[in-house]
Amino acid sequence: MRLWALLLLLPVAYGQSIGTPASVARGDKLFAQGCSVGYCHGAGGSAARSQRLRGRTFDREYLVKVIRNGIPATAMPAWGDRLTDADINDLTDYIQSLATAPVNVAGGPSTEAPVALPAEKAWDTPEEHKRGRDLFFDLTREGRCSVCHRLNGNGTAVGPDITKVAAIKVTDGPQVLRYGRPRTVRTFALKDGERFAGVTAERTASETRVFDLSATPPVLRNLLNTDVQSIQRQANWRHGSVVRGYSLEDMQTIWTYVRFVAAKK
Amino acid sequence: MPRFVAMFAAAAALLAQDGATRENWPHYGGQTSAWRYSALEQVNASNVSRLTPVWTFQTGDNEGGLQATPIVVDGVMYVSTSHNRVFAIDAATGRELWSYYFQLPKGFTIFYGPWNRGVAVADGRVFLGTLDNHVVALDAKNGRELWKVNVEDANQCGCNITAAPLVVKGKVIVGVTGGDSAHRGYVNAFDAKTGRQLWRFWTIPGPGEKGHETWTGDSWKSGGGATWMTGSYDAELNLTYWSVGNPAADFWGGNRKGDNLYTDSVVALDLDTGKLKWHYQQVPHDVWDWDTAYENVLLDLPVNGRSRKLLLNVNKGGYTFVVDRTNGEFVAAWPLVNNLNWIKGVGPKGELLGRNEPVVGKSKIICPSIGGGRSWNQGAWSPKAGMFFTTGIEWCEDVVAVPETPKEGQVYFGGTFKLTHKPLKGEAGGHLGAYDPVTGKRAWLYEYKYPLLASVLATAGDVIFTGDAEGFFFALDAKTGKKLWSYQTGSGHRGSAVTYSVNGRQYVATPSGWGSAVAGLLPQIWPETERLRSGSAVFVFALPENGK
Repeated sequence: MRLWALLLLLPVAYGQSIGTPASVARGDKLFAQGCSVGYCHGAGGSAARSQRLRGRTFDREYLVKVIRNGIPATAMPAWGDRLTDADINDLTDYIQSLATAPVNVAGGPSTEAPVALPAEKAWDTPEEHKRGRDLFFDLTREGRCSVCHRLNGNGTAVGPDITKVAAIKVTDGPQVLRYGRPRTVRTFALKDGERFAGVTAERTASETRVFDLSATPPVLRNLLNTDVQSIQRQANWRHGSVVRGYSLEDMQTIWTYVRFVAAKK
Repeated sequence: MPRFVAMFAAAAALLAQDGATRENWPHYGGQTSAWRYSALEQVNASNVSRLTPVWTFQTGDNEGGLQATPIVVDGVMYVSTSHNRVFAIDAATGRELWSYYFQLPKGFTIFYGPWNRGVAVADGRVFLGTLDNHVVALDAKNGRELWKVNVEDANQCGCNITAAPLVVKGKVIVGVTGGDSAHRGYVNAFDAKTGRQLWRFWTIPGPGEKGHETWTGDSWKSGGGATWMTGSYDAELNLTYWSVGNPAADFWGGNRKGDNLYTDSVVALDLDTGKLKWHYQQVPHDVWDWDTAYENVLLDLPVNGRSRKLLLNVNKGGYTFVVDRTNGEFVAAWPLVNNLNWIKGVGPKGELLGRNEPVVGKSKIICPSIGGGRSWNQGAWSPKAGMFFTTGIEWCEDVVAVPETPKEGQVYFGGTFKLTHKPLKGEAGGHLGAYDPVTGKRAWLYEYKYPLLASVLATAGDVIFTGDAEGFFFALDAKTGKKLWSYQTGSGHRGSAVTYSVNGRQYVATPSGWGSAVAGLLPQIWPETERLRSGSAVFVFALPENGK
């Protein structure tokens, strides 16, 4: 028997609850699809890695807020960009209906397919630019763009804000990607003889934090200034040395995508 | 026997893998052979009852408990806690020497949980994997950050690092979580001095690589294969052994037909190049979440009269697999638990017999439960006792497979589960046993009402240490399993006890602090375990100094 059907037999479950049988039933479904999955809240909120929700009383506003915004620095994600207000309302009705539910869940685990999450807002990309986005963030390539450039909230900001570069009127982007010599790159010489190309992230009176570009992914090294021999404008480092995994056609596609993001900003 | 033969035999014994620790506890598993065995015997079966607390260190962050293995080098203990905090502590007095708090990005959502299972220490540096998927090196003298590298954007990959790195010969080798997400796993090696990546081994072969044909369509891109526990290393063979976790989705394999290499496999990698030397797949095409994730114990033993270099690995499904670590040849397999119905047995070549798979849209009872016939808490090999000591769990689940479409970096489980109140045989609960590592013949069994989720420590003093869910840290007689001593630390045990010595005095240290994903499942069977208190402290014990 489905849980909501069981609840119909227990009028007390609705004692102080605001929900209707229909909203609770819909909330049950949403819960099975998104909240009880994996190691999260367990079947019927019976607890797993995250806390038990059955047999507990929660403030409604608190539930709505947590479902919508998540709890930062914990495993509770924000669902605000994936669920509608009506979804969150029904989910809250369901969780509140569990206040008087027995701790043990009757019946087997859910057979509901997990909720098909819409693309996150940050990733909203029209069809013609999806290929460019996929190439930019391609986790199967160790030398992907996002290893050094942050875009739409993802990636590591080693290099400059690439949307600003792309916004400049450049007729042949791929040529820039291949032969460009970024001005921010320096040659670091250490007193122990080590030399490498890098980008300074931060410099204080005693330390220099620098992204070491001699390996992928770049390493943020924290050097004591007393260990540094010299920091010089470099002549040799080419952007092309780190984008070798992409074809010329790939680069054109990526460039078009980045220009699209830059224009949207 | 002629004398020179005897001398040769003695020399060979000396050359054999010595995985015992002494003054230090230098690596996650003790030595890189993961024995979790110490040659120290000042504390032994005859005097362990006099163990007394020496110091306690409160870490101040008890979310998720304390799951680490402390590392001890030259009188300094290094411990990591939830949220990637690291403490250096005077191992004799408990005085804090320095602390390091890693800064997570603002508003960051943590995948899996906030915990960390330990650091690695070598050449004056401390290495740590983080919740947002960085590898960090610290100066062991003062905790100053020396370098950090972002392996993958955690928001995109749905993965992070919770295991302790393995550091050998100037290389920091690190795995990754993400086996329950749409993600493709790997093992990475970094230069200990500079942080530069030296090699990457993808646990799922890409197009054109051998083994890629064991995946259908694009399933290889989201097939899991996490390396979420620390690997081992054999110096003589120069091989590092890593366990590769389950394929994703966990319970549904409809879109990844084939064996799904190298998930649920032990892989032997050349330390210098990361190239695959051999692999042994325990569970082809897994649909139960039976990670091959746990410790790889390297031990040399005679099998059928022939001395073999072996590797022992407990699979999450409750079977222990023993292979030849020079070539991956199957040697033996034996069950650790009574409640095991996903196969009928293992054949003479290691083949799985009578698979009992979850069904789409229909519930099915599977034993053990998703929490495993054992969890990741490690066993211990005592060459002195000739026994492998490990915990095991008796429990079952009701599972339904559900087809699912992978979305990069998002949870990809392919089903739902619920633990059942009674397993198929006997009562649900945990145990700790002494086993012959090759035959699985059991010498004794210590039983407990809940799963035992702390690692086992064995010593040359014939004592076995571990802790339970209710907060008791205790010692058993290695020969009989009889309880010799216990101490209440105030919170349950989910970490790994170690032993070391400073100025000739032997100390036994245990993390105390209940938490973790598996601990969170317990209330589904035992509702009262929801009230088990969390904590996060290191307790250290020794014999009284006056010798009484």
